[in-house]
Amino acid sequence: MSKLIDENEGAQYLYMGNEAIARGALEAGISLASGYPGTPSSEIIENLAKVAGERNLYVEWSTNEKVAMEVAAAASFAQLRSLCVMKQNGVNVASDFLLHLAGSGTRGGMVLVTCDDPGALSSVNEGESRHFFRMVEVPLLEPGDFQEAKDMTKWAFELSEELRSLVAVRSVTRMSHASGNVKIGKLPSTDKQAEFRYSGFILDPMEGIVGSAPVAFRHAEQQEKIKKVREIFEDCPFNTYEGPEKPDLLVITSSACTLYSREAINLLGLQDRVGLLKIGTTWPLPPRLLTKYLSLTDRILIVEEVLPFLEDNVKIIAAEQAKAIGVKTFYGKNNGTIPTAGEMNPDHVVAAFCKILNIEYVTMSSEYEQRAQLLGFTLVPNREQTFCPGCPHRASFWSIHNALQLDNRKGFVCGDIGCYTMAMLPTGFSTLKTVHSMGSGTGIASGFGKLGPFGMDQPVLSVCGDSTFYHAAMPALVNAVHHKSNIIMIVLDNSGTAMTGFQPHPGLAVSAMGDEVPAIDVAKICEAVGARVEVRDPFNLKETPDTLLELMEDQEGAKVLILRQKCALSPERKAKKYFEMQVDEERCIGEECGCNRLCTRILRCPGLFWDKEKKTARIDEVLCAGCGVCSYICPEEAIIRKEVA
Amino acid sequence: MQGGYEDLIIVGINQVGFKGRRSKEMDNQVQSRGQKELQEQVINAHLCVGCGACAYLCPYQVIYKDQTIVLHDCDLAEGRCYAFCPRTSTDYDAIRKALFDEEDLTLELGPIKGFYIVRAAGEVNRANAQHGGTVSALMALALEEGLIDAAIVAEGEDNFLHHGIAVTEPIDIKKRGKSKFIVSPTVAEFNKIAAGDAKKIGVVATPCQAQAFAKMRMKPIAGKESHIDKLQLVIGLFCGWALSWRKFTDLLRRSTSLESITGMDKPPGTQTVEIFTTNGTIILPVDDINTCIREACHYCIDSTAEFSDISVGSARLPESWEETKTWNQVIVRSERGQTLLELARSKNVLEFRDVPEGNFDELKKAAVEKKKGAIERLREKSGQPNDLIYLDENDPVIKKIMG
Repeated sequence: MSKLIDENEGAQYLYMGNEAIARGALEAGISLASGYPGTPSSEIIENLAKVAGERNLYVEWSTNEKVAMEVAAAASFAQLRSLCVMKQNGVNVASDFLLHLAGSGTRGGMVLVTCDDPGALSSVNEGESRHFFRMVEVPLLEPGDFQEAKDMTKWAFELSEELRSLVAVRSVTRMSHASGNVKIGKLPSTDKQAEFRYSGFILDPMEGIVGSAPVAFRHAEQQEKIKKVREIFEDCPFNTYEGPEKPDLLVITSSACTLYSREAINLLGLQDRVGLLKIGTTWPLPPRLLTKYLSLTDRILIVEEVLPFLEDNVKIIAAEQAKAIGVKTFYGKNNGTIPTAGEMNPDHVVAAFCKILNIEYVTMSSEYEQRAQLLGFTLVPNREQTFCPGCPHRASFWSIHNALQLDNRKGFVCGDIGCYTMAMLPTGFSTLKTVHSMGSGTGIASGFGKLGPFGMDQPVLSVCGDSTFYHAAMPALVNAVHHKSNIIMIVLDNSGTAMTGFQPHPGLAVSAMGDEVPAIDVAKICEAVGARVEVRDPFNLKETPDTLLELMEDQEGAKVLILRQKCALSPERKAKKYFEMQVDEERCIGEECGCNRLCTRILRCPGLFWDKEKKTARIDEVLCAGCGVCSYICPEEAIIRKEVA
Repeated sequence: MQGGYEDLIIVGINQVGFKGRRSKEMDNQVQSRGQKELQEQVINAHLCVGCGACAYLCPYQVIYKDQTIVLHDCDLAEGRCYAFCPRTSTDYDAIRKALFDEEDLTLELGPIKGFYIVRAAGEVNRANAQHGGTVSALMALALEEGLIDAAIVAEGEDNFLHHGIAVTEPIDIKKRGKSKFIVSPTVAEFNKIAAGDAKKIGVVATPCQAQAFAKMRMKPIAGKESHIDKLQLVIGLFCGWALSWRKFTDLLRRSTSLESITGMDKPPGTQTVEIFTTNGTIILPVDDINTCIREACHYCIDSTAEFSDISVGSARLPESWEETKTWNQVIVRSERGQTLLELARSKNVLEFRDVPEGNFDELKKAAVEKKKGAIERLREKSGQPNDLIYLDENDPVIKKIMG
């Protein structure tokens, strides 16, 4: 049995933060969970899907985050508890519904878990979801360790039902993906009944219609909830203080920064000088609690990641209570003590303590740093971000790059979000020239495609993955077709949401829970929209560029080229090689060739390497995925492929 | 020799001492001369003529739709791509002296062993040809007589482009004689085909292509096989300019479908170009055509394919255009060219007629005009009176023209 559904109350498990959140939701007795994959959030839905049968859950990977939140809201409206999960970008996508849901209120407990990615370890932005919840007036909780991740998630559902409001729980990469000990609680019965009631008094929160109008009434009602939750937060056990009664410095922090702050205090032995106020209820802040701790000392350091959200809110309270608490000196983002970009870590907090308290402590000696740098440059192999061996994207971008070069009209590709975003880099022959949010590549292309009357005659291409296609690129394609925008949308269909771990999407005949579902065909959608559609195998390096060249000559509106080939890591591929690859060392004439190592210098598949002693290219049999693509490019035909039976 | 050559200025004396000077200077600087420099100095500088000398020697440069395409960056410091290009800096005088008899060299028209007005014997042999059918007749004869075992000629494609193909049967030559004024990547095709089984290859080349072949024959990069020794015959074409495929086809599409076009011509003395289609002839003003000329052609000093074995152009005769356009003027430049022409005479493959008075002077005058114009434009492009970009200002031909 999965440790996630162990019924042995009080047992302790090592849970990943995302598992702890999933367990918390299970202990809260959710019936439905929905989400869209996105690092670092994906494991929550994945884990819930695994236990859906045992726990009588409905779990789905929705088409996008807005739909996911709508699906989860339906369960809440039908008086079930529901969980909605996404990464920070997803909150942007869902934000329109989020605003309206905040206005309409909820019925069954509904919690939105957003996993932010400070430092953009797996993102193309450092966006912050915290601001959304202040903006739409929804309570926000942030766990400061793994036990809290579970407990706070469970409590969030209770809070949601008490308020009849959505409650947000925000995690960050180091909370979601690190692991810690969690003592588990009780799992409730799985017997739940859903009913959507709408026949009561129109404004009745449980029996009337669900909507954000009449706006002034609902909005005032929503603000009453915020007043109420502020009171609840005053006594919330997730807000804790540790340290002396009269500290020299008060640290106010939340989330994973609690761990960094505690580590820095211990490292410098500042337990008697520094107090640590850990806030679990980040918005709205409880003013009396803050007033109490702000009174302890005159120097306040606020430790948080990316933008000064906590800092701003604390300062508002400090200003309002200035008469009672006196004038404070604040350290944090605004005065430059704490960086406003990139991830936090204990070293940053140590540096802040040293600066504020005049302590000399060197986290890394300059001598060590210099030596590390020197050794780094000389000993560490130069590793670049690269597509996996046998990745269909490498082959696709080889063809796209070559076709654009051949066409020779300065054509370009608008990129999108997926593994293929790396085609900005040499691994994709630096093919992408714009990269923004999901679906934006085709939207931007749709605009470029209308600039002909202003003298722009560059061919305009866009790429998107199969999952991205359903998520947000479809409206962009409809726009391009409808407005006769002269573009080529290339769908890099690798049969799964590959980057986040092969979560199913609407193009596949299987759901998150493993059920058989109808697959929705990209090609048919595009044809129905009215685009000219071609489907090719990207591993065919002859047909693909030829097709693209022909499409670039076709000046009649939006065209779609679907490049379909399973991801080399796809579970469906089962690591099967299509070909056994071999370099004929007689034929590979190395430096004599004039090819200037096209295979290992330009194509750069990790499955190929340059043998410095033999001075020939060679196949790394362990890494090679047997796609056969490199056999097309060798001018001496020295790379031989043999079909695997 | 036929006709009025008395006033030919023979080069060969007073021009010693500068041979290879420019190259030597560059060698001393250990300059990189590879793909990067080719791109900077030729392709991006709009000097590329699309001959294909740099293409198919490696996987990096190819010809697509009459343009030279760099597919990926190559970081080698020295490349045949740069060395073979007719628009990288070149000591053409050294090449002239190495490949031709010095006593044959003229300043205006390159090496000359003889000047003739000829046409393919028999009307049927001229039917598929641009004008007098001389090129096809000579190439077919070279194949028949075993002077060559493969000929690279331009083959038309549906989309109005053409590519070179290797032909081994004389009959196949005569099917492919029409000009469409868009360059065929002949040197690129040579690079591809010469790597194969053919042992003695003949080509039909524009002046720039003949220049590229001449540079290749100098074997500028030791140890790199280019199969250039297989090149046994270069039949040059007189050339005023070539057109950019994209610009020209865009222009033509406005009047007719590309598929309907069977040929085209520019009648002398008119300001029009005739486009022959299956639905009749379309007349386009020459000014429209001029907008389609490849920029690189404006920097070309060679109108008569001076680096070929034998050069062929349309004749200029006092008779009617209908009659005139059945004839060619021919300059024999090398021993090989001479051998071929004499063979054509003895086998009655070509008809010969007298060269009208003043005809040769007219040709010379036209050649000098092109040289002058090109030099002027190169000076403008470089912004320096003595910097002719790819040409050597000390070349006696250039010196003479520059005055």
